[in-house]
Amino acid sequence: MTTTATPHDLGHVDVATARPRPRPWRWLLGALIAVGLAQVAWFVTHNPRFEWPVVAEYLFDPNVLAGLGTSVLLTVVAMLAGSVLGVLLALGQLADFGPVRWVCTLYIGLFRGIPPLVQLLFWFNLAYLLPRLSIGVPFGPTFGSWSTNDLITPLTAALIGLTLHEAAYMAEIVRAGILSVDPGQRDAAMAMGFTGGQTFLRVVLPQAMRVIIPPSGSQFISLLKGTSLVSVIAMTDLLHAVQTVYNQTYQIVPMLIVACFWYLVVVTALSFLQQRLERRFGRGQRSTRGEWLA
Amino acid sequence: MTGVPVLSVRNIRRSFGEHAALDGVSLDVAQGEVVAVIGPSGSGKSTLVRCVHQLEPIDSGAMYLDGELLGHEHAGDRVRPLPPRRVAEQRRRMGMVFQQFQLFPHWTVTRNITEAQVRVHGRDRAQAHERAVELLAKVGLADKADAYSRQLSGGQQQRVAIARALATRPRIMLLDEPTSALDPELVDEVLTVIRDLAAAGLTMIIVTHEIAFALEVADRFVFMDRGRVVEQGPVADVLGDGRSDRLRAFLSRYTQQRGSAREEGARV
Ligand SMILES: Nc1ncnc2c1ncn2[C@@H]1O[C@H](COP(=O)(O)OP(=O)(O)O)[C@@H](O)[C@H]1O
Ligand SMILES: [Mg+2]
Repeated sequence: MTTTATPHDLGHVDVATARPRPRPWRWLLGALIAVGLAQVAWFVTHNPRFEWPVVAEYLFDPNVLAGLGTSVLLTVVAMLAGSVLGVLLALGQLADFGPVRWVCTLYIGLFRGIPPLVQLLFWFNLAYLLPRLSIGVPFGPTFGSWSTNDLITPLTAALIGLTLHEAAYMAEIVRAGILSVDPGQRDAAMAMGFTGGQTFLRVVLPQAMRVIIPPSGSQFISLLKGTSLVSVIAMTDLLHAVQTVYNQTYQIVPMLIVACFWYLVVVTALSFLQQRLERRFGRGQRSTRGEWLA
Repeated sequence: MTGVPVLSVRNIRRSFGEHAALDGVSLDVAQGEVVAVIGPSGSGKSTLVRCVHQLEPIDSGAMYLDGELLGHEHAGDRVRPLPPRRVAEQRRRMGMVFQQFQLFPHWTVTRNITEAQVRVHGRDRAQAHERAVELLAKVGLADKADAYSRQLSGGQQQRVAIARALATRPRIMLLDEPTSALDPELVDEVLTVIRDLAAAGLTMIIVTHEIAFALEVADRFVFMDRGRVVEQGPVADVLGDGRSDRLRAFLSRYTQQRGSAREEGARV
């Protein structure tokens, strides 16, 4: 209903004294959410098959923690190395020297296309193709040579495979980030006498980070979960550690809960880090809630 | 004024595909001189200042800064392009102000002004900071030292951009339509700053559509059309009878447009 004031009434209303509007649908929705959550909580706590005591027993089991350590190590190393390589690949794709561009595009096409599982197996079996690895002048003298089987352990194969895979994905994320920065910013930096490297590292990349960070966060999380693939090359990651236990005890559900718990802890830590980084690189921007980040 | 010009542009050309954005432009700027470049949109004014600042390559011709060849070095009987590092060194002796300000949004106003001094000219932070304070006072923004560019109005951003370009004491300033992106009521604050620089004897090339302002501060004007300099000379000649038909047409169109815009606009 609309109230039309006669000129006589004008100035009699003050919205500061307004009453809240009734919102029955919100009450209903809130009630539904509460009931749903209560049901889930009841199921989780009252179903004996969750075997919570077993979960508690194995949560800090040394083998489980060692598996967790392996997963985190693989994630962090592949994340850092893959990001650095990804930035270089992104720059290569934007280079004005044709051959560099083609090689980088080819790399990204190849390594995004091959499933990481296949890659892990390939690197692990590298000795079949190349029995010895050597450093030297191409087609010339060599300075050192090692047996491939000594160099390619499950750990190095996993690190190489995950890093190369990660780099291909990061390259595309970083490229999109670089393209999101106004080319005028590059002009302005170059005009001030910054070198190309300074322009990229101090002006373009920090601004590109705003676009790069959110998809990178998802990428790192899928990398963490992707580390569960390394059990195929006999590495004991978190998932493999709990599998080893339940293969003997058949306590499958509680052991999977142990694994889920630790994955969620690490993902939460990563999300927290992402939030910090977003704030750090959002300086000089207005947040969605309208406040200035500094 | 005699002696070697600060900037000398000799018959430069720059094409985009078939289209010649600069079709043989020559121009000398003497020490302390203020040159206004005017001309219709698309006539090559931006391309000219971008080429001088080596943000775009030139296809032919040559440019000299204080008698030094820009962008190339002598090698035997011909010249070859300079390595990027040397080009960066040459750019450091010129200052550029863009139509869209192009402040770095991830840095505070002060950092925008100090960073090139520190990274490029090797001054220490304290010295650079002192210079920033001095320049911000000069452009009337002493209280905005810690603001980020998006917190400033367009006019304030452009004044910071001018301070940033001045920080390293350039031999010549190139200003490409410094007030064209501004709301009418913010134009004057920027023009005032530029007027002060002209009075202080800074050598400048100003691309502008503010004809009245150009007549006031410039020593010389350059009228461009379709990639060529159609007319150039002392400002007094713009008002004289010697001007070409094209310039006459441009000026009458412009003063009309501006005049009506000003009557409608919020100018006080
Ligand atoms: N990067 C570019 N690619 C293609 N054409 C361009 C480019 N930059 C400028 N031009 C063309 O060159 C001509 C001159 O442009 P510009 O120097 O920006 O003119 P002005 O600044 O006088 O308006 C225009 O016709 C424009 O379309
Ligand atoms: Mg222009």
